[in-house]
Amino acid sequence: MIDVKNLSKSFGDHLVLDDISEHISPGEKVVVIGPSGSGKSTFLRCLNLLETPTKGTITFEGTVITDPKVKIDKVRQQMGMVFQHFNLFPNMTIRKNITLAPVRTGLMKQDEADEAASQLLQRVDLSDKAEAYPNQLSGGQKQRIAIVRALAMRPKVMLFDEPTSALDPEMVGEVLDVMKELAQEGMTMVVVTHEMGFAREVGSRVLFMDGGHILEQNTPKEFFDRPQNPRTQLFLSKVL
Amino acid sequence: MIQWFTSLAPRIHRAFIEGDRWRLYLKGLGATLQMTVLALCIGIILGMLVAVIRTAHDQQRLGQHNPILGILNTICQIYTTILRGTPMMVQLLIWAFVIFKSSRNMIMVGTIGLGINSGAYVAEIVRGGLMSVDGGQSEAGRSLGLNYLDTMRFIVIPQAFKNILPSLGNEFITLFKDTSLVQAIGGAELAYYAKTIGGNTFDYMPPLIGIAIMYLAIVVIFTWLQGKLERRLRESDRR
Repeated sequence: MIDVKNLSKSFGDHLVLDDISEHISPGEKVVVIGPSGSGKSTFLRCLNLLETPTKGTITFEGTVITDPKVKIDKVRQQMGMVFQHFNLFPNMTIRKNITLAPVRTGLMKQDEADEAASQLLQRVDLSDKAEAYPNQLSGGQKQRIAIVRALAMRPKVMLFDEPTSALDPEMVGEVLDVMKELAQEGMTMVVVTHEMGFAREVGSRVLFMDGGHILEQNTPKEFFDRPQNPRTQLFLSKVL
Repeated sequence: MIQWFTSLAPRIHRAFIEGDRWRLYLKGLGATLQMTVLALCIGIILGMLVAVIRTAHDQQRLGQHNPILGILNTICQIYTTILRGTPMMVQLLIWAFVIFKSSRNMIMVGTIGLGINSGAYVAEIVRGGLMSVDGGQSEAGRSLGLNYLDTMRFIVIPQAFKNILPSLGNEFITLFKDTSLVQAIGGAELAYYAKTIGGNTFDYMPPLIGIAIMYLAIVVIFTWLQGKLERRLRESDRR
């Protein structure tokens, strides 16, 4: 589904991603973990070109999206993204937050989008918030809305950039529950997170990144029970 | 002292009532307000254009440099530098005696001069407003597949508008007061009539203090209206 070849990214002189190659298959739930500054968020943001790679190619469903001639908006319509700080649009109601993109990109008519929004809100138990504004919601509610806002575009893959890191601890669960449900439905997911429990339970594969490299990857069970790389062992001993 | 006060009434009478002179002030005030509003329109249109060009130029994707945008950006930078770096008075004199030296309609020339000057300031105000919106907002819009223009139109600009309203109000006040400079190039606005009446009656004090009060009153009323509008917009934040 997503094929990354020799991806490098530097900000000025600072090399953040160093020659990464990776393949993500349909239905996989890839969890990316690693210390801060390891390049995991940059890696995720390169996948939908929020960051422009310095070198290398990314292929999404047969299209080389790093080619400057590719219409990136069309590609992004098929890749949902959820951010650490939710990034809901504070100037519109929750319903408008969800329906804006499907309507403006021509995916749905306004009444279809409204209907889809109602269903999505029901799914995350926030039907009563349709006409509310983002500032009236708690962090956990905002992130659940952000997830369904991305789902409204009917994406083929969902990218999560530390979706629970900005939440109060008691709200982490409700967001992870939505993500687990999504995983059970077979959505392809790439998740950057510090939630090791989530990685172990939901992930089909765990990548460990440090210093711009993917140092180790394995199934969650193998990865957490028998880490091979000394850097991974050190990291896991600190966080578990 | 008492004598001075008792002489005040006939002086005021002479400056404002005699020969229906109040009509001249009204005419001047009309010209002043017309200049302010027109110049502000020119300023806002020019300013938005410059701000959008400059922001679009700064937000280009790495390695995708649009040469036309580059040229436009340079023109915009030269424009703001020159207009903000030279005195308003000198600019008006150049408009009147160099560029439009054969024109008789100095109110029009003054409006153009003020508007183009104001555009340079509005551009910086709008640019600041656009940059004040969190980058995550446009990232979220773009990640949903919205194009650059839709992201600006529905997400960034509505949020920027609230942030730039106070500065835009200040710009209106500055512009309103700067219209009085147009009398120096012969534009028949409020200050021009006050000066003329002062010369005709050999008494400058009543007409000049009079128009000062008029300028002040309008600024105070406008500031009050602006405060009301800002409070309304802020309330929608807390909904």
